[in-house]
Amino acid sequence: MSRQAAAILLVAGFVAALLACRKDPSLTQEDPCASARTPLHLDYHAFFPDPVIPADNPLTVEGVELGRRLYYDPILSSSGPLAGRSCSSCHFQEHAFTVPDPGVPAIGNTNVLSHCNLAWASHFLWDGSAGPTLEDVMRYEVEDFFQLDVNVLREHPEYPELFRKAFGTCEITLPLVEKAMAQWFRRLTSANSKFDRFLKNEEALSPEEWRGFQLFFTEAGDCFHCHSMPLMTDDGFHNIGLDSIFVGKGVGRYAVTGNPMDMGAFKTPTLRNIALTAPYMHDGRFQTLEEVVDFYSGGAKHSPSLDPIMTKPGTGITIGMTPEQKADLVAFLHTLTDDVFVTDTALASPF
Amino acid sequence: MTMHLPESSLAIVLGLSALTMLNACSKEDADPPATQPTPPAPVATTLAVTHNIDALPLTYDTIRYFNEVGNHYSVTRLEYYLSGLVLKGADATADHALAGPWYINGTWPNTFSLGTVPAGVYSGIEIDLGLPPALNQTNALPNTMENVNMAWPIPMGGGYHFMKFEGHFMHQGQPTGFAMHLGKNQNLVHCVINQAFVVTDDQGSLTLQFNLNEVFSNPYMYDLAAGNQSMGSDSLMAVLRDNCTTAFLFEYQP
Repeated sequence: MSRQAAAILLVAGFVAALLACRKDPSLTQEDPCASARTPLHLDYHAFFPDPVIPADNPLTVEGVELGRRLYYDPILSSSGPLAGRSCSSCHFQEHAFTVPDPGVPAIGNTNVLSHCNLAWASHFLWDGSAGPTLEDVMRYEVEDFFQLDVNVLREHPEYPELFRKAFGTCEITLPLVEKAMAQWFRRLTSANSKFDRFLKNEEALSPEEWRGFQLFFTEAGDCFHCHSMPLMTDDGFHNIGLDSIFVGKGVGRYAVTGNPMDMGAFKTPTLRNIALTAPYMHDGRFQTLEEVVDFYSGGAKHSPSLDPIMTKPGTGITIGMTPEQKADLVAFLHTLTDDVFVTDTALASPF
Repeated sequence: MTMHLPESSLAIVLGLSALTMLNACSKEDADPPATQPTPPAPVATTLAVTHNIDALPLTYDTIRYFNEVGNHYSVTRLEYYLSGLVLKGADATADHALAGPWYINGTWPNTFSLGTVPAGVYSGIEIDLGLPPALNQTNALPNTMENVNMAWPIPMGGGYHFMKFEGHFMHQGQPTGFAMHLGKNQNLVHCVINQAFVVTDDQGSLTLQFNLNEVFSNPYMYDLAAGNQSMGSDSLMAVLRDNCTTAFLFEYQP
């Protein structure tokens, strides 16, 4: 074989090797909309369950950053009846992404749920009418609640580039808006409270907090069956005996399922950061944790759909805690506050 | 100046080039390697778990059942673990053990693959309702939502609920809640069912039937009005444990 022929064969061999795997001819031309995205891994304890992350919407630095901006930007509502508002209008970071007084007629008397650890949730809103994924919830929020006209993003001087970076496309669509926001919601993880540090043997509880911990996680207080560790919610629905007659939004989960045994049942809210998220219950009827504990101690009402777990030994529905026990329980609830979560600048407004 | 490769180097480069061509697509495009013929599997077997209340099927949220004492009750929740399944070999057949555990939720299909089971004659089965001590420790199971919601609190000893069986019963004229919760190592329910069966053919199905009324009877009559919540009571849980040992029947179908 002559050297010239060998050299030709050599080059041909490399070219063949390069071309052999090429499945999409379009990839040979540089896509002006393509982007390199950086995978983002959520930071949470080993004892947390695996979060629910759809395969078609993995977390990326760029996607989360876009979602963060959309969360804080009133542009989301600019074409709908809530013009001027953003998600952050009712979800303040210092209140663990909820608000003391929503003041939004569109949501009536519904208390605002905290945007905390929703990466682990499969049911959303008090009655579970949205879900099972955060993308489904965002579809409701973007298209029905805020009624976004996606053209306002397409015509914006900055969003097209942010979407290109996040999704590698020059076309902004409602599903991409919803995916970016879902990524941001998954980023809102809270796992750095005093209680978490206690579980990791990094910090001790005070005597009051310790007694409250014992109450919470034994039959004496019996909070743990619904507010289970580590998320402090079972992601389920329960009628805890707030009412014995159910009207309007008070029917709760029944409005979704039509099952009479779901009458008055609402989603178990997480107790993480609960000291920051007053008022309490689906309708915000309690202003303080002390009022909540008073209710659980002796204020529950009978109804046919009262959750079985609310009936105590002896078939009564009261626990009858002493004032000291109530104070201990409240002290423990305060250990669920995650100061990092409510001050982290990475979770704050980018504007 | 013209540079030339020596003959030996050229041969090496040509060889590498050929290797590159051969390997470039190996992960995606190459034909899969020929699979070795596998010996015929003994018997592919599934485990199915069903629930009934005597002659009635399990239906949630309706007060329609009567236990032996006469409590008129409904079921709103049923979750538990099964573990330690042993197919007891007879004659020349050895015991076949399957550790599990299997999380059972009454609202789920509850069908599991048991892999392959050696063909042969078996005299019956043994199975535990609950978790063995090695798994009945906080965070011993994978932290799925189901498992974390079955946790037995650390201040009460840690580990997991073996069973949550909840519902309502009529008491003094109104629906009243009950929660039959079972946990703690000493309350692991060991069930022995002596019933011969033969594993043959290509596949088989083992169906476990859990009669919930047996939770309230045999050997002890259980009155919900006298003990509607079991979790804080070692004596009530012991009654449930003993009653549950006879709560399962099984059927093997080739």
